[in-house]
Amino acid sequence: MERKTPVRPRGWRNAGAGVSMVLPAVLIYVALLVVPVIYAFYYSFTEYNGFPTRVPEFIGLENYRTVFGSADMTDTMVITAVVAVAGAVVVNLAALGLALLLQRTNRFNTFGRVVMFYPHVLSALVVGFLWQAILGPQGVVNTMLEKVGTDALPFLSDPDWALWSMILVIVWSLFGVQLILYLAGLQAVPADLLEAARIDGAGRWRTFRAVTWPSLASTVTVAIITSGISLLKTYDVVVSLTGGGPAGSTKTLAYSILAVSFPQRNIGVASAQAVLLILAAAVLALTVLVLRRRAEDDAESIG
Amino acid sequence: MKKTHSPSAVVRVAFISLVSLGMLVPMYILVINTFKSQQEILADPLSPAFGTATFQYLADAWNNPDFSILKGYGITFALVLSVNAIAMAVCAPAAYALARTPRPVSRLLLFFFIAGMFIPTQVILVPVIFVLRAVGLMGTLPGLILFMTATTIPFTLFVFFGYIRVLPRSLDEAAAIDGAGKYYTLWRIIVPLMRPIIATVFILNSLSVWNDFASPQMILGPGSDVYTVTTGVYAAVGQYSTDYTKVFPTLLLAVIPILVIFIVMQRHIMSGLAAGAVKG
Repeated sequence: MERKTPVRPRGWRNAGAGVSMVLPAVLIYVALLVVPVIYAFYYSFTEYNGFPTRVPEFIGLENYRTVFGSADMTDTMVITAVVAVAGAVVVNLAALGLALLLQRTNRFNTFGRVVMFYPHVLSALVVGFLWQAILGPQGVVNTMLEKVGTDALPFLSDPDWALWSMILVIVWSLFGVQLILYLAGLQAVPADLLEAARIDGAGRWRTFRAVTWPSLASTVTVAIITSGISLLKTYDVVVSLTGGGPAGSTKTLAYSILAVSFPQRNIGVASAQAVLLILAAAVLALTVLVLRRRAEDDAESIG
Repeated sequence: MKKTHSPSAVVRVAFISLVSLGMLVPMYILVINTFKSQQEILADPLSPAFGTATFQYLADAWNNPDFSILKGYGITFALVLSVNAIAMAVCAPAAYALARTPRPVSRLLLFFFIAGMFIPTQVILVPVIFVLRAVGLMGTLPGLILFMTATTIPFTLFVFFGYIRVLPRSLDEAAAIDGAGKYYTLWRIIVPLMRPIIATVFILNSLSVWNDFASPQMILGPGSDVYTVTTGVYAAVGQYSTDYTKVFPTLLLAVIPILVIFIVMQRHIMSGLAAGAVKG
């Protein structure tokens, strides 16, 4: 068919309609997400107590020195990193393993998927309170242990235990989502390759190593990093499960910002902590972009 | 599948049953202990007390003078609807305009929006408070709605963009020939075709708004009497966390609506989630 001057819909020619369509979204997004990020950067170089009558006073890198200088705050960062890394890895390994077991669609497996997914619809705050009632010093588990005559276990009252208890609670509530995503990903594994592997007499493990894993590996990497990004901001579950304790052993960066620095009117320090988290998230997000680009290239070279 | 009763199949079924049990036990504990007294809970938290079961504590939690759960449902529900309505009303035109003008400017703008998906929202709440204070919306519901809308815009716009981009342009052109304007084409032709993706986005945004705790806690503040379900649970349970006759009934009331919705719409929620993620 001969192509004449393309019919351009009315109003597209002048940018007016386009701009008016984009503008409302841009306005809300910029005012309440972009501007606050800029403010976080700005406040992070100032001393400010948040009172409207005070003007933020520029103090250079002083807040960052505070953040990196006190053991309390560097601990916070280490804890956040442990939660993000350990949480993301365990969530995804559990999800991938169970996805492989629940691949086939039948009644039993569908039930299993629903049961493993449901904590995701509960708010993290409620999950934290619920597990506090289960793992706390007078919680369900310890009551039962006492009944059978064993010593209580310090799930939430010992600094070393509390962090891992919290990570396990996070895993309990989150792996179901990743499980569903992996089930979707597994459907994309080429059926003819699986078939070919079976004909060649490959066992389950060989098939997984040679066929399933290569076509899934990039998905898994991206999923681990994305989970890590969302775990960087762990806050709700800290509030309800441990309150950051005992002895600050579960105090994440987000908790430190919202429950410590901000109530102490340390806006500068809170902002410096926020900037560090934003930068960490940005680095991880860029990694995801690069990996995804590479995965697309791989997919093209295979397909 | 070869044989249903091969040893590996038995191990598999047993393992999945065990994990499923681990997933369900907390919910079981929550439900049975809602109807028991503190002494009964401390004496035996794992068995239901059919003989002495009482609705007393559930009624007390419902009538809590500090936090009306019914009002909490109402406010949270209104929040979910407003955020979804505004986010979609501003994202549909924006995604449409960006998808149909393949200029570098649009690519750049899209990237600018996508970057917002990675901003840890809890973390920027402190400066958000100052922005809202400057425009007089701090501590108000409209302020909270606007902020939550802003946090859902990147994802909503990105997913809408991906969906509109693959809708044939001939639709627009046909409408233009018939004399339809841009907005008419969008709302009458494009949006009706977007129903599946709108449903997916609605489910995902609703879950995140319903369950958000940090934003309402910080923006509405402890001073205001406006509680969402999460901030209300925090106010009601926070300082009484060892009085289990308050904890379990309040938590049960907080999760019942979302669990009922989940059980009814379980298939849509789970497939919507998978679809949304594959698109992303």
